[in-house]
Amino acid sequence: MFKKIIDNSMAKSPWIYHINTGSCNGCDIELVSVITPRYDAERMGFKLTGTPRHADIVVVSGPVTSQSKERLVRTLAQVPEPRVIVSLGSCPRPCNVFKGSYSVEGPLDKFCEVDVSVAGCTPKPEAIIDGLALAAQILKEKRRQK
Amino acid sequence: MGLPFIKEAITQLFSKPSTEKYPLVKKEVSDGFRGKLVFHPELCINCGMCMRVCAPQAITRTIEKTEEGDRITMEFHMGSCTFCSMCADFCSKNSIELSKEYSMVVTNEDDLKVRGSFIKKAPPKKELSPEQLAKLKAAKAAKDGKAEEEFDSCPDA
Ligand code: SF4
Ligand code: SF4
Repeated sequence: MFKKIIDNSMAKSPWIYHINTGSCNGCDIELVSVITPRYDAERMGFKLTGTPRHADIVVVSGPVTSQSKERLVRTLAQVPEPRVIVSLGSCPRPCNVFKGSYSVEGPLDKFCEVDVSVAGCTPKPEAIIDGLALAAQILKEKRRQK
Repeated sequence: MGLPFIKEAITQLFSKPSTEKYPLVKKEVSDGFRGKLVFHPELCINCGMCMRVCAPQAITRTIEKTEEGDRITMEFHMGSCTFCSMCADFCSKNSIELSKEYSMVVTNEDDLKVRGSFIKKAPPKKELSPEQLAKLKAAKAAKDGKAEEEFDSCPDA
C-alpha cells in the first residue's frame, strides 16, 4: 500500500535536475524563470533538485563541450532509472552554431537517449513548461512499463 | 505607526497572483517575435542565399531530377536554428517568414524539420533553323581560324 502511495506521489511531482554542458546561459536563465513565481512550474509539481540522485527528469542544455563531456556522462550515470532526458534549446542535439567546433563533442544522442527536445534559441518559458509536461507523461509511461 | 507596511500587506492579500496561468490561458507573444519558420515554396527561386547566411547551417537543399524539371526541396531544421531571421531578411523573394509559434516540443527530431519543395523548370531549348545553324558554324570556324592565326603569329619563345 505504501508503495502505491509513493508511486502516485512520485508521478505527481517529478524532480528536475539541470545540467549545463557548455551552453551560453540563455537556456539556463529561461529554465530558472520557469521555477520563479511568474511561471511557477512548482504548481505542477516540478521541483528543481540539487543532486542527480534524486532526479526523475534531467534537463540538458549546451552542445556538450570536451570539458563537460566527462562530467555529463558521470552525472547521467547517477540518475536512477526510469529517467527522462530533455534537451533544452537548439544546442544539445544538432549543436547549433557550434557544429564542427574543435571543442564540441556533441550531439547529446551520442551519450544517452534523448526523450524530449524543446526547440528554440532560447525556448520561451511556456515552451519549456510544455516540454516538461510531455516529459512527465513519458516518465509515467516508463514507470508503468517497469 | 507600529505597522508600517499594513496597507501594502492588505492590498497584496486581495490582489491577483502574478503567476501566469500558462497551459490554461495561451500566451500571446509580442510583435516582432521570431518563432517557427514558415516557408512558401511557390515563391522560392532556388538562389541559395538563405543557406549562405545561415550560421548554424540549419538549411539544406536536395535536388532531384524529374521529368518536368528539377524538384528542389528546402529543409529548415528548427532544432538547429537560432531564430536570427537572417534567412528571411536576405531572401529576395520573401519566401521565408518567422511565425509567432513558439512551442516546439517533440519526441522525434524529424518533426522539427520544416520542408517545402517545388519544381524548377529548365529554360526551354531554342530551336534553330538550318540556315541559322550554318551561320553559327561559320562564325565559330572563323573565330577558331583567327585564334589559330594569332597563335601562329606568336613569336618563338
Ligand atoms: S533564422 Fe537564422 S538560424 Fe534559423 S534558418 Fe534562418 S538564417 Fe538559419
Ligand atoms: S528561400 Fe529565398 S533565399 Fe532561399 S533559395 Fe529560396 S528564394 Fe533564395
